[in-house]
Amino acid sequence: MSVKTLEIDGRVCTGVTGQTIFDVAWENRIQIPRICHVGGISDIGACRMCLVEIEGRGRLHAACMTPVEEGMVVRTATERLKRHRRLIVELLLAERNHVCAVCVTNGACELQDLAAELGIEHVRLRYRFPKLGVDTSHERFGLDHNRCLLCTRCVRVCDEVEGAHTFDILGRGANSRVICDQDEPWGESESCTSCGKCVQVCPTGALFAKGRTVAEMRKDRWFLKYIVTAREKRQWIR
Amino acid sequence: MDPLTGRPRLATVWLGGCSGCHMSFLDLDERLVDLARLVEVGASPLTDHKDFPGADITLVEGAVANSEHLEHIRAVRARSGVLVSFGDCAVTGNVTAMRNAFGLENVLNCSYRENATVVAGVPEGGAVVPRLLERVRPVHEVVEVDYYLQGCPPPADAIWDLITSLLDGRAPSREGGRFG
Amino acid sequence: MAGRILIHPVTRIEGHAKISIFVDEQGEISGAQFHVVEFRGFEKLCQGRPFHEMPSLMARTCGICPVSHILAASKAGDELLGVEVPAAAIKQRRLVNHAQVLQSHALSFFHMSSPDLLLGFDSQPGERNIFGLIGRDPEFARSGIRLRQFGQRIIELVGGRRIHPAWGTPGGVLGAVGAAERDEIASWLPEAYQTVRIALDRLKVMMDEFRDEIAHIGNFPSLFLGMVGRNGEIDFYDGRIRIVDAEGNMVADGLDPQRYHTFIGEASEEWSFTKFPYYKPLGYPGGMYRVGPLARLNVCTRIGTPQADRELREFRQRSRGAVCQSFHYHLARLIEMLTSVERIEELLGDPELTGAKVRARAGQNREHGVGACEAPRGTLFHDYVVDANGLVQRANLVIATGHNNLAMNKAVEQAARRFVNPRALEEGMLNRVEAAIRCFDPCLSCSTHAAGRMPMVVEVRRRSGELVSRMARGV
Repeated sequence: MSVKTLEIDGRVCTGVTGQTIFDVAWENRIQIPRICHVGGISDIGACRMCLVEIEGRGRLHAACMTPVEEGMVVRTATERLKRHRRLIVELLLAERNHVCAVCVTNGACELQDLAAELGIEHVRLRYRFPKLGVDTSHERFGLDHNRCLLCTRCVRVCDEVEGAHTFDILGRGANSRVICDQDEPWGESESCTSCGKCVQVCPTGALFAKGRTVAEMRKDRWFLKYIVTAREKRQWIR
Repeated sequence: MDPLTGRPRLATVWLGGCSGCHMSFLDLDERLVDLARLVEVGASPLTDHKDFPGADITLVEGAVANSEHLEHIRAVRARSGVLVSFGDCAVTGNVTAMRNAFGLENVLNCSYRENATVVAGVPEGGAVVPRLLERVRPVHEVVEVDYYLQGCPPPADAIWDLITSLLDGRAPSREGGRFG
Repeated sequence: MAGRILIHPVTRIEGHAKISIFVDEQGEISGAQFHVVEFRGFEKLCQGRPFHEMPSLMARTCGICPVSHILAASKAGDELLGVEVPAAAIKQRRLVNHAQVLQSHALSFFHMSSPDLLLGFDSQPGERNIFGLIGRDPEFARSGIRLRQFGQRIIELVGGRRIHPAWGTPGGVLGAVGAAERDEIASWLPEAYQTVRIALDRLKVMMDEFRDEIAHIGNFPSLFLGMVGRNGEIDFYDGRIRIVDAEGNMVADGLDPQRYHTFIGEASEEWSFTKFPYYKPLGYPGGMYRVGPLARLNVCTRIGTPQADRELREFRQRSRGAVCQSFHYHLARLIEMLTSVERIEELLGDPELTGAKVRARAGQNREHGVGACEAPRGTLFHDYVVDANGLVQRANLVIATGHNNLAMNKAVEQAARRFVNPRALEEGMLNRVEAAIRCFDPCLSCSTHAAGRMPMVVEVRRRSGELVSRMARGV
């Protein structure tokens, strides 16, 4: 395992072989925005929020998918990147029905936070207003497709950490949606263990505990790190 | 500028919304007394102007939901110096736009046929009541908007900051704005 | 010169509306209609949503009385859960409901109507508003602003924010009230009593100046409907429905709000987005009734707080039987403000208010639930049918301003006949017609499950469309 030294936003940072730019940046308190990434499960580089500029390379790179290299010079917050990120968040806001005011996670939503951090005051694109359903057939949890970003955190945590692989994605493009088992109501799923990890990792109000009212749903962002640390290092520390 | 007093004119407009943003404006409380010294409050649901005489600063609450909103917001834009999208319905469509996913006919049928015991008529729009738009739209989809105040409703402090910044000739701060 | 005079928009009311005054061939007024021109469709857009979201979603019908919608939706949710709500939650709900009555009535009186009463119906339209009042009578205006602030502050202290608080939920409320909040509320009480007292005394003194308006703005017999508690006292939060007639005779009593559909029907007309509820046994449109402050004072046996009950005795001397003059909605509203301040004081002294157990938890146990309460403007019903998974399948909202729709139309017609001379239109005439509406303090956001302003042009036209006379108000 060799040490790599690189520069991120003008700061000299060090990482080791195999670490991503994203991880090293966060270790150095440079918080690159992200949606599909969540610590403890695999990265897929899908949301494009963590795109960074690397000196000497023309195209942009997803920080979560790019291993650190010796001598890299990385910029994470240029005007060009902010423009891209704003557009990504606007696209997400326009794609489904994100009515923050009446959402169970109002005040504690990662998409809402991102919009505020990026200074998005309005969405320049036309809202699509699709007709989408809510699945509350599960005894304890609900899935509201109106608020889903298709980040697949739920799909990965269920597969990689719980091992149940209840969720998957059906369809392509704008018609994609999260399904349970073979596209059955969640309450009829045979694979779901009702562990609730998917609810905790979901960045928005798409997955929620049933019976929560507006602005009441708060998610535990630490449990996953706890579980993964326990599994990998046999250390049960909070 | 008001020709008599020389003070800037502030107007407020209410389209398809719940009036909560106007109530948040009234939540300025005693600052309303200060405001009355700083500006002329012109056209507004709180006053008796029946047409829109023009204003230096206009706050627009609500989404564009019917034919009269459409006509009115265009006239307002033409006679406003600075136009502010005031609250989430104006900025995003918000709850007012939730009907878009259902289709207008279904929405009208639900209220005026399914939930009625006597149906003498359905207000589908015509001579007196306006025609509802098939699709509720945020204000900036219809006219140019200069500033945005998010929130359902925007907090009174944010309203105060915006108005006083504009009066001082400063661009309002974007800090702290948030949907919801 | 048969035609129609259109007042558009009606201003200083909480909503979007127009008034049509019809003129016959002889140029005499032949009728009038009150049109609500806004619609948002909450009964549809809530379909498919979990019922736990209803309190906050339905709050968005109205920014003036969101608390009423939060309460009706939460109470319907209590029914769906089938639970007994903890005492502390009920006390909180009652406290916040009174806070809302106070702020909403203060808005109606000080911000919307007192400019007419204090500056005069014929005063300059440009000045006839709260800002004009600030210029002319700053202390009175300030006291009204602060009274509204008091109500809003209670909502903020208990519910977390002033407008659309995320606070009520099926089974109770989201958090407990602390002693610090309780004490801050209590510190406002002396000023609140004083402001309400001064306003009441001032309005009573002014009554003589408005004899004509009192006699001709919405003065007609009708039924009155409201919710009363076990002993016939006014109860804004819970109780049974009572209906009295113009003579003050009991028409119905002890009606279960859960079964509102057995005695209230709703009619749709193509010329208004607000439906026309009617008392079913008398049919449509004969079953006209009024709700709100005037109705509550007419239906109750007593108000239930000492100072307000003294005012009630005096109020009832204004008329034999029920008080039928809609102008007295203003006075009734002030008396109710007094009640609410008294009730707030009472609740602050109740140790249960600060109890820690504020929510009963349960799964869904029923598929149909109705929640009812008295909103500032009258009785409010939320009726939900949900599926086995708790998603709303059907919702019906019957709103305070809706109940008054038939009566408002009648009041407009009566005021037009008395005050409007179609041959020589004057602004003050039309303002009196609008004032008929302002008495009812309609909250049109609510009534259409929607929520102004557009050019007001008054035109009298011949049937051929030829313009006879025209008047534009404002600038």
